[in-house]
Amino acid sequence: MKKRRQKLNLNRRNFLSGTATLAGLAATASVVPINISNANHKDGSKGLPDFISWKDRNALIVHSDKGIETHRSAIGESLITPNRNVYIRNNMPTMSDKQIGDRNNWKVSIQGVKNPKTFTLAQLKKMGHTTMATILQCSGNGRGFFEHKVRGSQWKTGAAACVLWTGVPLMKVVDACGGIDGSAVFMTSAGVDHEPTGLDPKKAMVERSVPKKVYKDAMLAWEMNGVPLPNAHGGPLRMVTPGYFGINNVKHLGKVAFTTKESSVKYMKSSYRISPIGKKGSQYPSCWEMPVKSWITRPTDETGTVKAGKVQIVGVAMGGTRKVRSVKVSVDGGKSWKRARFVGPDLGKYAWRQFVLETTLTSGTYNIASLASNGSDKQPELRMENRRGYAHNGWKDHSVNITVV
Amino acid sequence: AGCHILKAAGSEGNVGPNLDTVSLTEDSVKEMVTYGLGVMPAYGEENILTKEQIDIVSFYVANTAGK
Repeated sequence: MKKRRQKLNLNRRNFLSGTATLAGLAATASVVPINISNANHKDGSKGLPDFISWKDRNALIVHSDKGIETHRSAIGESLITPNRNVYIRNNMPTMSDKQIGDRNNWKVSIQGVKNPKTFTLAQLKKMGHTTMATILQCSGNGRGFFEHKVRGSQWKTGAAACVLWTGVPLMKVVDACGGIDGSAVFMTSAGVDHEPTGLDPKKAMVERSVPKKVYKDAMLAWEMNGVPLPNAHGGPLRMVTPGYFGINNVKHLGKVAFTTKESSVKYMKSSYRISPIGKKGSQYPSCWEMPVKSWITRPTDETGTVKAGKVQIVGVAMGGTRKVRSVKVSVDGGKSWKRARFVGPDLGKYAWRQFVLETTLTSGTYNIASLASNGSDKQPELRMENRRGYAHNGWKDHSVNITVV
Repeated sequence: AGCHILKAAGSEGNVGPNLDTVSLTEDSVKEMVTYGLGVMPAYGEENILTKEQIDIVSFYVANTAGK
């Protein structure tokens, strides 16, 4: 079993570093993205869907009522993304207060442990307490830069947020159950949000398996940035898998199981697989670890022309499952680079760091790019072409063009 | 009918996007119906609908969505 896991990870690493054998594969996909009538936030006639009416419309790009992106300039310049600006990507409808009922009585069952048990949220709150910053990022963040017209929301940079979670470390919960059953290889989390839809669980249940080791840093969270976890973000209880793509952070959590096999539901078996264009299947790596990535948040083409003189180039950088070590910034499309300075507190390896490069720009047009490194990996120049437009961390597509006057 | 809101069809589902709020081309609908997306089945690949049926559905949805 150990061998198999290593192989999976190796495949994925090769794929992410671009050394997987993708060259020569014909681009056969001929799909067309949704052309959204309400994508422009300036169109005041199209508001937010009711379940997130509390969000800041001006901070958001509405792709559909299930896919809502944060503007590049609205993820916050104080490390943490405010809840009202955090993106929405829901595979299932958000559960209502009525469906959830008494939040303290919400139940999660823990399986694949020596003594399987079911705990209420009230019980979990007595078992342990911690706060941790992690990056929530949709696997398809950056899909909008792919050129083979991928199905799905055309996210650019805004399906990502840095969030403070409060909850119980999963380790504490596992300990209370006598520890993991010896033969487990995966940690498999399941949401219960498919239940009200009446759809076949095999097709509709969001159940995600990740390598078992993830449980050591994982938590069951009931608070997000200082408020009870909003229903729209998976309240009252959500799995947090630090360093792993958003889909693995299962919302409306009803079950955590330590399993010998990956889940067989559609969202694990066939969806969220990083496959070459024109290919698909469960033999390809799942959207698990996030790669190192960064992007500029100011100035951008969203923030208008820039006045000549001193300019602060600001952005965010993440290391994936490792601490981000450095960021370089280019104002000439990658011909030359200068090291940027990290600012603000370090909230741990799973949070992003904010960076700034102070420079002087004269009038003209500039292509501004950022390039992050976590010590062992750095961002590639180009995207890793793949069928569904996942895991984009190429610096070139994420660069911005600005005009200085 | 149980998966999307689409006024024209009288459907009130809440699993997929609200089709009254998106504008879609016939080609994009055809692609999604054929190959599926998320929980949505691949009606073409899995031979749930014929090509002709997909053409008809796509024409209808593209011409009623976002209105």
